[in-house]
This record gives sequence, C-alpha cells and structure tokens, in this order.
Amino acid sequence: MNSMLTVMKFTIRNKLYSKSYIITTLIIALLMALGANAPYLIQKLTGNSEPTKVGYIEGQHSEITQGLADYFAGQEEPDVTLVAIPPTGSEDSDIDALKQAIKEGKIKGYITFKENAEVGFPDVTYSSEKLLESSTSQALQGALQMVKTNIAVSAAKLTESQQKKLFAPVSLTSVQISLSEDEGTGKSVEEQATAIGLTYVIIILLFMAIMITGTMIATEITAEKSSRVMEILVTSVAPLKQMFGKIIGTFIAGLTQLVVLGAVLAANLSLPQNKDAFASFGIRLDSIDPLLLVFAVFFYLAGYFLFATLFAALGSMASRTEDMNQVVMPVSMLMLIGFYIAIYGLSNPDSPLVVVCSFVPFFAPFLMFLRIGLSDPLWWETTLSIVLLLATTGLLGWLSAKIYRTGILMYGKRPTIKELLKAMKAYKV
Amino acid sequence: MKPLVVERVVKHYGDKTAVNGLGFEVAEEEIYGLLGANGAGKTTTMRMVLGLILPDEGSIRYFGKPYSQEQLRMLGYLPEERGMYPKIKVSDQIIYLAQLRGMSRKDADANLKHWLEKFEISEYYNKKVEELSKGNQQKIQFIAAVIHRPRIVILDEAFSGLDPVNVELLKSTVKELRDQGTSILFSTHRMEHVEELCRNITILHRSNPVLQGSIKEIKSRFPQERVALAADRPIEGLERIPGVVSVARLENGSYDLRIREPETAQRILQHALSQGPIRRFELLEPTLNEIFIRTVGDRHE
Repeated sequence: MNSMLTVMKFTIRNKLYSKSYIITTLIIALLMALGANAPYLIQKLTGNSEPTKVGYIEGQHSEITQGLADYFAGQEEPDVTLVAIPPTGSEDSDIDALKQAIKEGKIKGYITFKENAEVGFPDVTYSSEKLLESSTSQALQGALQMVKTNIAVSAAKLTESQQKKLFAPVSLTSVQISLSEDEGTGKSVEEQATAIGLTYVIIILLFMAIMITGTMIATEITAEKSSRVMEILVTSVAPLKQMFGKIIGTFIAGLTQLVVLGAVLAANLSLPQNKDAFASFGIRLDSIDPLLLVFAVFFYLAGYFLFATLFAALGSMASRTEDMNQVVMPVSMLMLIGFYIAIYGLSNPDSPLVVVCSFVPFFAPFLMFLRIGLSDPLWWETTLSIVLLLATTGLLGWLSAKIYRTGILMYGKRPTIKELLKAMKAYKV
Repeated sequence: MKPLVVERVVKHYGDKTAVNGLGFEVAEEEIYGLLGANGAGKTTTMRMVLGLILPDEGSIRYFGKPYSQEQLRMLGYLPEERGMYPKIKVSDQIIYLAQLRGMSRKDADANLKHWLEKFEISEYYNKKVEELSKGNQQKIQFIAAVIHRPRIVILDEAFSGLDPVNVELLKSTVKELRDQGTSILFSTHRMEHVEELCRNITILHRSNPVLQGSIKEIKSRFPQERVALAADRPIEGLERIPGVVSVARLENGSYDLRIREPETAQRILQHALSQGPIRRFELLEPTLNEIFIRTVGDRHE
C-alpha cells in the first residue's frame, strides 16, 4: 500500500510540475474563460451602443417622422435617433444642407421622401456614405412599417380591444414530456437546449479526458519499458501496485486539471453579466439537473478506469514508443466508435442503435450518459448498463494486471497473443 | 546463514530450457562471478534471484528465507541495459527509487548527497538525466542500485561502456561495498575484472553450469601450458624442443610459448640459457579468459 502511494505521489508530482501540463491547463482555462464570456462579448460587440443619427428635413411628412421618433424613443436601446435639419426652401439646397450635416458629423445619413400615391405612403430613401449599412436600414424599415400600420389603423378607427387583438403575437411552445414518471413535468425548450448543450459538452469532455489520460498512461509505461527503468521498478515494487499507482496518480492529476478548469468555467459563468447573456441565447444554467452531473462524474470514473487499465496493459506490450500507437489502436478505435455513436445519438437519443449500444460496457460511459441526459431510460436499463460496466471494469482490470505483469518484461517485437499466453504461463502469473 | 543460496534452479520458457540445475552460494563480503556467453542464462538467473520470475524447480533462499516482499528491500539491482527517466531530475528519481524500497525521503536525500560527493558529481543533483554524459549516467544508475544500503547487490555488466578512469572508480566502490559486508552477484564478459574481484565463479554454457568453484581451484585444474620468455638476443631452435606446441615472437622481442606439460618449461629455460642471458622467464597459469574460451569453445563443436 505504501509503495503504491509512493508511485502515485511520484506520478502526480511529475505531472503537476511538467511544463506541458501547466501550459495545457492554462491554455484550456483561457479558452474556457473566453467561451464562457463569448455570449456576453458577442452581445457587447454587435449590439450598437450608440444609436445611428439619421437626419431629415424638418416639417416634411411630420406625421411619419414624428411616428419614427416615437418608435425609436420607445426602444430600450434605440438603433436610431432622428435629427431635424431646418428646411432651406428648395429641394436641392435641402439635400445640400443634409450633405453638409454629414460632413460636419452631425448625422450619419438621412432620409428623404417621395410621394407614392398608389400606396398612400411615401417611398423613403435612406442615403449614407456607407455601402451596406443593413442594420440601420433594417431598423428604419421595421420602424416605418410600424408607423404605416399605426397610421392605417388609426385611420380605420379601431377600438382599443380590436387593436390589441390585432397586435397580440402568436404563442407556440414545445415541451418534452416524460411518460415513465407520474409527476413528470417534462422539459421546456430552454431546458432541452441546455440539456443537449450540456450533454454534448460533457461527452466531448469525457472522451477527451479518457483518451488523453489513457494515451498518457500507455506512453509512460512504454517509455519506462524502453528506457529500462521498468526493470528497476519491477524489482522494487509489485507490478500491480505500480500499475494502479500510476493509473490512480494520473487520474488525480487529470482530475486536478478538470477541477481547475471547472472552477474557471464556473467562476466565469457566475459573473453577473453572463447570466443574462446566456439567458438571451436560451441557455439556462439553473435548469441543469444536479443528478445529471452526478452521473457525469460516475461515468467519467468508470470509463476512465475501464480504458486506463486497457491502455496500461497494451502499453506494457510495446517495447518502443513508436510501436505504442499501433498497439493501443484497437482501444482507441473502440473509444472513437462509442464517441461517434454518441454524436449521432445527440439528435436521435432513442434510436435502437443508441439503446442497444448503451449496454455495451465500452460505449456505456458515453451512450448511457447521453440517454440519461436527453431521453428517459427506464431505471432497470440504467442499472443494467452500470452493472455491466462495473463488472467489465473489474474483469478487465484483473486481466490487464496479468497482461501488464507479463508484458513489462517482454522485450523485442510486439508479442502475439499466443506468445503472451506462453509468457504468462512461464512467469506464473 | 549465507545471504544468498541458489539450489538447483531450473527454468523453462515453453519447450526451451533457459537454466538447467544451477546452484551456488554467495557469502557475506563476497563477490560471486556469473560468467557465460550471450544467451547462456545469466540474465534469467539474475531475474530469478530478483524474484521477477519464479524458478520451475529448485529454490532460492535469502538469509535462509524464501523470496518475499520483505526480501525486495535487501536487494539492489543494476540492470545490464541502463535505465532511468531521461526527463526527470536526478534527485527526484533516485529518491523515488529509494522510497520504493522503503527508505524515508530524508534518509534517501542525505544518502544521495553522500554518494554524489563520493563520485564528485554533486552538481548533478538538480540536473535531468538526459543532460548527463553516459559515464555520469552510469554512476547515477549505480547509486540507484545501492542507495538503500542493500545486503545483496546484483550487478549485470556493471562496467560496460565506461572509460578506464571510471571503471577503476566503480571497481574500488564495489570493493568497498564488499568490505562493508555486502554480498554481490556479478556478471560480466570482462575476465580481468572477474579475476580481480571474484572469489568464486560459475561459468554457464547453454543453460548448464559447466565450471564452478573458486578461481584458484579452477585454475589449478587447468595445467600450466604457457611460458613467457624474454632475452636480449633472439633465441634459436625453441620450436625444436620436445613438448613445445607453438612459439610466437611478440613485437617487443619476447616469446610466447605453448607447451604440452609443465616439465617442458625447464627444458626451455636450459635451452635459452645456453644461448645467453635471460631477461624474463615465467611459467604462466592459464588466464580466466583462456579457461572461459576453452570451456565454452570446446563444447561449441
């Protein structure tokens, strides 16, 4: 037990102090902080804080310009403010005056009117130096439409209740319902979006965390073998303790990284400005089911130990780092398949493929989690999947330990299964 | 109670026999030589002593006790192919290895500093192993094998790849260890090291122990068949003396003669004296090198 702790401490120490570990953590933390603030930043950058100043000739179509001014004044953050330019008398000199105002920086552009008898509403032209100022022209378009409707409605002399009826927006909400539970309240659109987003993020994190740490373990074991440190290590500490010390040590180092990154993310998300920003994108963090996070942690643990022991066993079979990738390929493929089924399952969480595969232990960490997050698996399905996963983890842990015990002392070319069995017999493991 | 007793161990790999009925004992303050050509079974024997693999038959006892986890701490091992973590600091990895063998961190650190001073490489305490020269890496490796004050040390090709100065340094360190009471199992291809260090040896050939005993006794089993002779002037007619097998004239003017039995030597001396003064005359006992080649080579045919 003591020597396992020593192996763990050594593994953790070397991880935490290594430059690559620190740099990777910093870069990912930075990206996460950016990501967490992205909705707010996007809002900040695109939302024009300064309204565009648009000029018009005072007195021309005062009904319309007054309507526009009222409309923009009613906005919380007005897109446009209207600036009145005193009329000069003739149409041409009016235009000159408006242009002069642009030159002086009083306005960015101006609107002019041309009678259109057919519609009963003048055609409006927005002139500005910029080519494609769509946001301003769109704002003007919407405002003019509103003004026109208002004029038409007031001309029709509708009652207030009639107006209300006319302007009331149509309401459509889609709700996910749960049939397995009696009190099932279902998830609202926002909750669904949040669940899909969260599941997606967690599955990617699961995959990356397991893949990266798994490969790291395999690489380290192969490196210890190729640098022959292994021969000294094996004589000092029992192989099983060494293997699990390394797996747990790497796990703790990985977990530390995750906790740091999680803290960065949580701290950034809880900044007051971000809550509103996320809400405006339809992501509601308070709708996250804490049970889902518990499952995420559980599947991370189970999946990690399942794959880590496999990676360790395979890593022990390669004699050189160059051979390592080839040796661990089957396990990497297995993980990739599970990952891709999970990505497919994001939009089809109830497809038979996803349901069946969620019981396969190698895919369960991704797929069962996906189903719990996005659909509503029966309790026995979840239990069966977890039991199978744990049983396989135990069994493969035991088998990996045996392979590891043998593999670390086999040098030369990559052993075949037959050679491995023969060696296992010879070493009496 | 002998520190290390190996009794008739047999090890098969599949249908191949790697070690066949080998037995030897190593006393305290003794360096025991394990010799053999490549693939003769030396490494397998050492691995069995280290408990990495279990013998199919026979037993290995450490101070009278069979192999167990506690015995691990008494063992020190310098593997044939050197291995350290290239990217980890010397101090970190040596202390780690010492801790794995049950030393406290503080103890290990003090001991490491002592050893580094002894080898005059204290400045490498905080260096990474990959930054060191090969000879210094070897010294670090040696420290890793003995830092926890093992009672039994296994040295597999301890001096390979070292320059003569460092060979002498390590050799004297090994002797010191021996004089402090450590039992050392020593394997090498360099027979002059064996002659200098070992009291008893085993020569392995194709998994079988073919020659065993103290070096003195082994040498006495082989007849003295070489004569070294040097005179100021060339000596004529040496090859015509009865019993002389061959005569070789060396570059420095002396002669190297092979004879059938030791009595021939006196006839050579008389013959040479009759032609003038002699600078050097010696009836040589066979070197271990010759014994090795003869033992292993004979059975090669």
